[in-house]
Amino acid sequence: MSLHYLLNELYYQRRRTLAAIVGLSIGIALLIVLNALSSAYRQAARAPLAEIGADVTVQRPGDVPKDLAGVVFPCSAVTIRDDQVKKISGLPGVRGIGKAVLLWVFDPNRAWIVLGVEQQNNVGPAVLRSAVTDGRFLEEGKSEALVEVGYARQFNIKVGDSITIAKNTFPVVGLLDASRAAKIAVGNVYIPLTEAQKMAASSAGVQSVSPFNPADINLLFIKADQEQITGLAASLKTIVDKKATIGTPDSFLKLLGSLFALSDKFTMAASLIAIIVAVLIAFKTMAGNIAERAREIGVLKAVGWTNRNVVSQLLAESVIQCFLAGVLGLVIAIVAAYGLSFMRVNIPIPWDMAPTPHFLPGGGDQIFKTLRLPVHIPFMLACFGILLSVVIGGVTGALLGRSISKIKPSEVLRHE
Amino acid sequence: MNSGMNNGALLSGKGLSKQYGDLKVVKDVSVSVKAGEFVCLVGKSGCGKTTLLSLLSGLERPNDGQVMLDGKDITKATEDELALFRRKNVGFIFQSFNLIPTLSAWENVALPLFPMAMTEQERKRRALELLEKMELGHRTEHLPSALSGGEKQRVAIARALINHPKVIFADEPTGNLDSATGDAIMAILNRLHKEEGVGILMVTHEVELAKTVDRLIRMQDGEVIL
Repeated sequence: MSLHYLLNELYYQRRRTLAAIVGLSIGIALLIVLNALSSAYRQAARAPLAEIGADVTVQRPGDVPKDLAGVVFPCSAVTIRDDQVKKISGLPGVRGIGKAVLLWVFDPNRAWIVLGVEQQNNVGPAVLRSAVTDGRFLEEGKSEALVEVGYARQFNIKVGDSITIAKNTFPVVGLLDASRAAKIAVGNVYIPLTEAQKMAASSAGVQSVSPFNPADINLLFIKADQEQITGLAASLKTIVDKKATIGTPDSFLKLLGSLFALSDKFTMAASLIAIIVAVLIAFKTMAGNIAERAREIGVLKAVGWTNRNVVSQLLAESVIQCFLAGVLGLVIAIVAAYGLSFMRVNIPIPWDMAPTPHFLPGGGDQIFKTLRLPVHIPFMLACFGILLSVVIGGVTGALLGRSISKIKPSEVLRHE
Repeated sequence: MNSGMNNGALLSGKGLSKQYGDLKVVKDVSVSVKAGEFVCLVGKSGCGKTTLLSLLSGLERPNDGQVMLDGKDITKATEDELALFRRKNVGFIFQSFNLIPTLSAWENVALPLFPMAMTEQERKRRALELLEKMELGHRTEHLPSALSGGEKQRVAIARALINHPKVIFADEPTGNLDSATGDAIMAILNRLHKEEGVGILMVTHEVELAKTVDRLIRMQDGEVIL
């Protein structure tokens, strides 16, 4: 194999070389972009859960409260028993558990959406401590409250004030900006989990719909191994309730409704088609090029090149062309991914995961988590794209080289 | 009809026949070329002389017969053995030059050396030496498209000589050239034959060109005639 000969051939036949490189590079770029898009949608679908430090949420639907007075559960989130929680924490793939109690409190003059949260836990709503804009977050062992900043503004509540919820008085120690927080597991008021559990256990409205002990909860957040989430979701239904609402990245992905989000099969099929078309273009261009060089191959064989020498030369030309196609494809994909990363995606939050009662103003509106599509090309995907190009070059070069090396020099060199 | 069989020959073909389908192109021909001998194979177009040259040089296999080159029966060699054998022992000059259009003059000359384990400098040194001999020292970096017909053929002759072959097969080497350039090429071939002692088997339909050669073999309808 002569590198000089190879480079000369690619340079002087640059129109054909470029055609082969561009043809294949478009296919490689499509493959990379399609997979990057699919991965971006998957990543976006994880966002609503990731913001509350979880991979899975569990809620159990129940009956609508008879009277919307005092402390009640939303019908989408009734009791998850403590023994069920303990059983879940032992499931394979579970790496952490976060607990919360979501209550609707209808006091005579005001309605509250109350979220009882653990003060110290990296799984679940406690991660909202970063959303505190004034004052501080809830401290362990203290009976105190945080108020959502918009709600506080509406009712003129300040840090240092006291608020009374269902006859329980809490000092307000901080304000929290819900617009910067997650769209699920949010409330107007945040209190310690134990206080919310006491409130629920002592509420006739709660007990009449769903028996509740002080250690029970109605929102469960799970940090889990990504590979085991699907299996875990099935086990959760078995333990909690077959009608339980299990929020997973996959369930959000389905809500997105994008073709890329629908299934891996679509991405795989589209990638495969892109690659097949690109390979055919590259193959046809290279085959045309090699066929035109039949006389040249005849000369090489006449002057003593073996079939192996000829195949090596054509193989090297093909691999270099396809390697360049891979690099160009990657560059195109990076530019396309940069452009696509300005796209915004709206992830709908299911009504049963939205905390606001539908009968309150704005409560019936569809909530979306809006974010920029996190399109980026992982290093491994980039390497795969280039490696695939090189393999295509190798296979194409070997096939075409073997075929053309069989020609008889005497046939192609016979003068006119 | 057979001609020129010689037991001390560098190259000999014995009872060679070649047929394509029902068409017999070469019919039971025996020829030989001694070491350092300049033999010319003449005949009208289509009489089978190029096919005979292909058989004798190992570019084509005969249906019948045997070709011995430097004591080796090349009709029994595999394709790769034949290629290696050609690389070491044979040089080719074609009517249409058959230079690689994307390689410079010196690279075309060095083409048979590309698969061999040697440095680029060594290849270039040998090629330039031959191009100097062909009075093309000033055209070494030019592509074939920038060379005249005579220059192209001189590059092709240099390429045929790069491996110090025992025999050169020349197929109508002046066929694409004007008469003055053709004469110059013939002068080079005669000089090579005399000074370097290279055996040459040349195919031509121009009997005039055969005046200066050692021996003339005539062909007609696939057979050698006396």
